[in-house]
Amino acid sequence: MSASFSRRLARGIGRLLLLAYPARDFSWARAMQHEIDQLDNDGAALVFALGCLWGGCRQTASTGLNWFAEGMKMKNGLWSWLLVPRNAGLAGALAATCLGISYLLAAGAPPLYVVVNAAAFLLGAVALSGLRGIAVRAERHAGPIVLALGSCLLLTSLAGASVAGASRWIWIGPLSVQVSLVLLPAMIVAYARHGDALGHAGIVAAAAALALQPDRAMAGVLAMSMAALAFARPGRSAAAAVVVTLAAFAITLVRPDTLPAVPYVDRILFSAFEVHVFAGLAVLLGSALLLAPAAIGWGLDPARRQVYLAFAATWLGCVLAAALGNYPTPVVGYGGSAILGYLLSISIFPADAGAMAGSGDRAATADSDSVGISPRTRLVTHPAG
Amino acid sequence: MARSRELSSQARTLLADLARSGQDWRHGYELARSTGLRSGTLYPLLIRLEAQGYLQAEWQAPAGSGRPPRHAYRLTAAGLALARAEQDLHRGQIVAKRGEALS
Repeated sequence: MSASFSRRLARGIGRLLLLAYPARDFSWARAMQHEIDQLDNDGAALVFALGCLWGGCRQTASTGLNWFAEGMKMKNGLWSWLLVPRNAGLAGALAATCLGISYLLAAGAPPLYVVVNAAAFLLGAVALSGLRGIAVRAERHAGPIVLALGSCLLLTSLAGASVAGASRWIWIGPLSVQVSLVLLPAMIVAYARHGDALGHAGIVAAAAALALQPDRAMAGVLAMSMAALAFARPGRSAAAAVVVTLAAFAITLVRPDTLPAVPYVDRILFSAFEVHVFAGLAVLLGSALLLAPAAIGWGLDPARRQVYLAFAATWLGCVLAAALGNYPTPVVGYGGSAILGYLLSISIFPADAGAMAGSGDRAATADSDSVGISPRTRLVTHPAG
Repeated sequence: MARSRELSSQARTLLADLARSGQDWRHGYELARSTGLRSGTLYPLLIRLEAQGYLQAEWQAPAGSGRPPRHAYRLTAAGLALARAEQDLHRGQIVAKRGEALS
């Protein structure tokens, strides 16, 4: 009798384990593969195999990040500087903005667009250095920050500029600013750092605002980030946040969204390739760079992974929304709102995250994680106290 | 081999489970079942325990035809000592907490 689909899948994953685990653990990967083959129940074998694969991916990612961190530490101060998530975010935003500008130039966008993006980056970078104190205070004042930002979103949906039935913008001089793109990412990061009653209220306000506007893309982003947070920080309030934000997203799905694609803003993940293959690659690379600080924070600041997970879900959600519908492609497309929003969101990152990357203390922090992540040199799993 | 900080609850669970079996060899799936740990958590822990000298691992000949050899595990003397020390420490912490609650 031929093997069931589950059995064949489990065997396939068993073979994959030999690649998923670091080379030094090859015999262990083989041990897992053989253990999978020992199990008579196909379903149990598949679940066991999937667990092993997940563990292997984490081991390899952790090993890679630690090697990277060690290697970078030895190189010079610039690399140490880059291993701080906030700095990596600034560098990533600069690179993504430049890549976006190169696309705009290649696509023949009006020169003003280039100026606006560059100005937004400079403004955001200045604000980032001016907001250093926020990172320190965000932990204690996350609730009021989230509520204040959520209220701003609500105000925008009630009194903002309306285009084709959507109220997402405010006008600052000749420029329109999409408030949700500027404020929501920072709000999500602040909420990820500390979610209290005020924070929950802020999330509800934001969900209501996005449903009212309606803003399908950002409502989806909010729901996606709350789901990521619920995964990292399970609990009743996290589940409630997922339900509320999903409801808001569902409302935006049933409401009409008739805004057409705007040249150089929407759908450029695909259209950039029509300009030139390098323009397309610049847009893709710029979008990928937006997630770099999350990867660095995830590896080097394990105690606050929920912050980086929420950040990654937020910006990945923005990129996905841009790929799927007529929504702005963050940072690489024309528009200062996403650039400001990106820099604002990294300003909420923990101030000390990755700060020890250049010192011996970093290793101690990096491996203070739950099982399976930290390097093999210690059996420690979480910070004392 | 020296531990610098507290063990995770998963590591403690695994150590306690392995300690209960003494010198008997255990297999991965069986350990996952008895400890309630997922395989993705269990194996990285086993790998680290072995690297630090707390765990002994060996390949065992197949039990039947058509079966591959199987990896089996048990604690070393150092591992057993660690498991006992952890158990004592954990008990002490519980007693201390109860004392605080009653005072």
